[in-house]
Amino acid sequence: MEFAIQGLLLLSEPKTLVTIVVCSMYGLFVGSIPGLSATLAASLLVPFTFFMDPVPALVSIVTMSAMAIFAGDIPAALIRIPGTPSSAAYTQDSFALTQQGKAQLVLGTDVLFSAVGGLMGAVVLMTSAPLLAEIAMKFSTFEYFWLAALGLSATVMVSADSQAKGAISMCLGLFLSTIGVDITLGYPRFTFGSVDLLNGIDFIPAMIGVFGISEIMRNVMEADRKMIFAVKKVQTKGIFKGVWPLFRKYQWNMWRSGAIGTFIGVLPGAGADIAAWIAYAVSKRGSKEPELYGKGSIEAIVDAGTANNACLAGDWVPALVFGIPGDSITAVVIGVLFMKGLRPGPMIFEQQPEIIYAVYFAFIIANLLMVPFGYLAVKTSSQMLRVPKHILIPIIMMMAITGAFAMNNDVFDIIVLGLMGIIGFFMERHGYPVAPIVLGLVLGPILEQNFMTSMIKSDWNLTLFFVRPISAILGGITVAMWGFPFLMAFIGNTKKKNGAPAQ
Amino acid sequence: MGKKDCIGGGIFTCLGIVIWAFTFSFPELAAIGSVHAHPGPSLFPRVLGTLFIFFGSLVIFSGWRTSKLPPPPPPPEEEDGVKIAPLNYFNPILVIILIAAFIALAPKLGFIITGAAVLAVLMIKLHVAPLKSVIISVCVICVIYFVFAKFLRVPLPQGILTPLGF
Repeated sequence: MEFAIQGLLLLSEPKTLVTIVVCSMYGLFVGSIPGLSATLAASLLVPFTFFMDPVPALVSIVTMSAMAIFAGDIPAALIRIPGTPSSAAYTQDSFALTQQGKAQLVLGTDVLFSAVGGLMGAVVLMTSAPLLAEIAMKFSTFEYFWLAALGLSATVMVSADSQAKGAISMCLGLFLSTIGVDITLGYPRFTFGSVDLLNGIDFIPAMIGVFGISEIMRNVMEADRKMIFAVKKVQTKGIFKGVWPLFRKYQWNMWRSGAIGTFIGVLPGAGADIAAWIAYAVSKRGSKEPELYGKGSIEAIVDAGTANNACLAGDWVPALVFGIPGDSITAVVIGVLFMKGLRPGPMIFEQQPEIIYAVYFAFIIANLLMVPFGYLAVKTSSQMLRVPKHILIPIIMMMAITGAFAMNNDVFDIIVLGLMGIIGFFMERHGYPVAPIVLGLVLGPILEQNFMTSMIKSDWNLTLFFVRPISAILGGITVAMWGFPFLMAFIGNTKKKNGAPAQ
Repeated sequence: MGKKDCIGGGIFTCLGIVIWAFTFSFPELAAIGSVHAHPGPSLFPRVLGTLFIFFGSLVIFSGWRTSKLPPPPPPPEEEDGVKIAPLNYFNPILVIILIAAFIALAPKLGFIITGAAVLAVLMIKLHVAPLKSVIISVCVICVIYFVFAKFLRVPLPQGILTPLGF
C-alpha cells in the first residue's frame, strides 16, 4: 500500500502530468496517421527521455502507446486506412458503418471500448503480472507456431464471402513474407538479384497500399458520378449517446475480449494485431448476427477494439518481469529502463516497487484520459468528412505516399505501396478480402521461424507439436477451426439426404 | 462472377506451380547423423505453393458451378430519373501513373514541387477548378512537408529546392 501511494505521488508531480498530456496528444496524432506506427512514435520519444527522470520517461511511452493504438481506429473508420495494424481486423466493418451514416456510433464505440479494454489490461497487469509471466514462460517455439497459425486461421474463418478466397489472400501475404533472406540458411528467396528485395516487403506500405490506395482507385473510378461528391453531414454531437446501450448488450463480449487481449499481450512477440484478429474471429463465431461481419457489425468493433487495447498492458508483463519485450514498443521500453539504470526482472519489484506502481497507475490514467482526448480527436478528425471527396481523395493519396516513405526513408516502399494498391484493387473487385494479406505478412516470419526452429531442435519430429499440453490445446483448436466448415457441410448434406432441412 | 472466378483461381493455381518450380533451385539443410538432407528455405514456399494450387482449384470449381446459374440482372442505368454515368476506368490508372511519376521525379525535383504537381493533376482530373486545385495543392503539400520533415524529422527529398535550405 505504501509503495502504491508513493507511485501515485510520483505521478502527481507537475512535470509528469504535463508529460502525460503532451504524450497523449502525440500518441493520438501519430496513431491517426497511416504509415506512422506506435513503434516509430516510441522510437522518436527516446531522445526526449534522455532528459527525463525514470517515471516521466516510462509514463510518456505508456500514454503514447495507449492513445496511438486507439487512434488507429479513426482513419480506419473515416477513410478505410487503418492507422495501425491492430485496427486492420475491423477496418471493413468500421468503414461500412461510416458509409451507412453511423460514423459517430463507430467512433464513440472505439473510444469507450478501447478505454475499457485498456483499463481491464491495466488491472490484470497490477494484480497478476508475475503469475502471468510464469505461464508465458511455458510457451516455446511449438506454442508460438500454433498461436500464429491460430491467428491466421481466424482471418480465413471470418472471410465474409468465400473462405477459399480468404485462404488465398492469407497465402499471398505469407508468400510475400518469404521474399528476402530465409532464416535457416540465409539464402535469398524470390529476390531476383534485387538488393531492395533482400530486406523483404515491409508490412506498413503494403497495408497502406491494399487498404488505402485500392480504396482511392475505387473512388476515382466513380468520379463522373455526381452523387458520390455530395458532402456528408457528420454528426459528432453526442458520440457517446448510442454507445451506452452497447455496454449492456455486449457485456459478455467486452469481458471475453479483454481477457483474450490481455493474455495474448502477455506472450512475448504476440501483439495487438493478433489479439484483434482472434477476438474478431471468436466474436463472429459466438454472434447471433454473423452475416453482418465484414459488412458493418458494431459487435465486431466492440470485441476487437477492446482486445487490442487490453493487449498493451499485457505486453509489459514479460518486459517488467523478465526483461523480454512483449512487443516492439516494450522493446524500446526495455532500452529506456536500462538507460535509466533500472534492471527489468524480479528484482525491480523488490528494489523499486514505487516505479512499478507508477507505471500501473499511468496505464489507468492514460485509459481514463482516452475518453476526453479521444472525443476531441474524433471531433477534429470527423471534420475530414466535410471536405468534398474530389479534394479529400488526392490529399489522402499524398498522405499515403508520404506515410509509406516515412517508415524507412526508402523509395522502394512507395513502389510496394503502388503494387499492393493494384493487387488490392483487383482482388477486392473479384471478392477476395485484403485484410488477410496484411496479417499473413506480419505473422509469416513468426510462423516460419518457429516452425523451422521447432523442427530443427526436435530433429524433424512432428509429433512434438501435439505432445506438449499447451501446444496440443492450441493445435487442436486450430485444426478444429479448419475442420469445422467441412464438418458443418457434411452434417448439412447428411440431413438433406435424410429429408430434414439443413441448418 | 463465375468466369472471373475461374480466371482468378487459375492465376493463383499457376502461381502455386511457379513457386514450386522456383524452389527446386533452393539449397537443402545438411543433415547430421542422417542419410537424408532436410528441406530448408524451400519448405515454407512449397507448403504455400500447394495451398495456392488447392484453394485456387476450389475457386475454379466454385466459379464453374456459378457460371451454370442464370446471370444476375444488369445494374440499373437510371436512378430517380437521372442517367447514372459510366465508371471512369482511366482514373485508377492515372493514380498509379502519378505514384510512378512521384517515385521518378521526387528525388530530382523535390517532395514539395512533385507532390504539389501530383495533387493538382489528380484534383483537376476529378473536376476541381484548375486555379483552386493549384492553391489547395500548394497549401496542403506545405502542411504535409512541415509535419513530416520538420516535426517528425523524416528526410523528405528537397531536390532543386536544396539551395533554399528547407
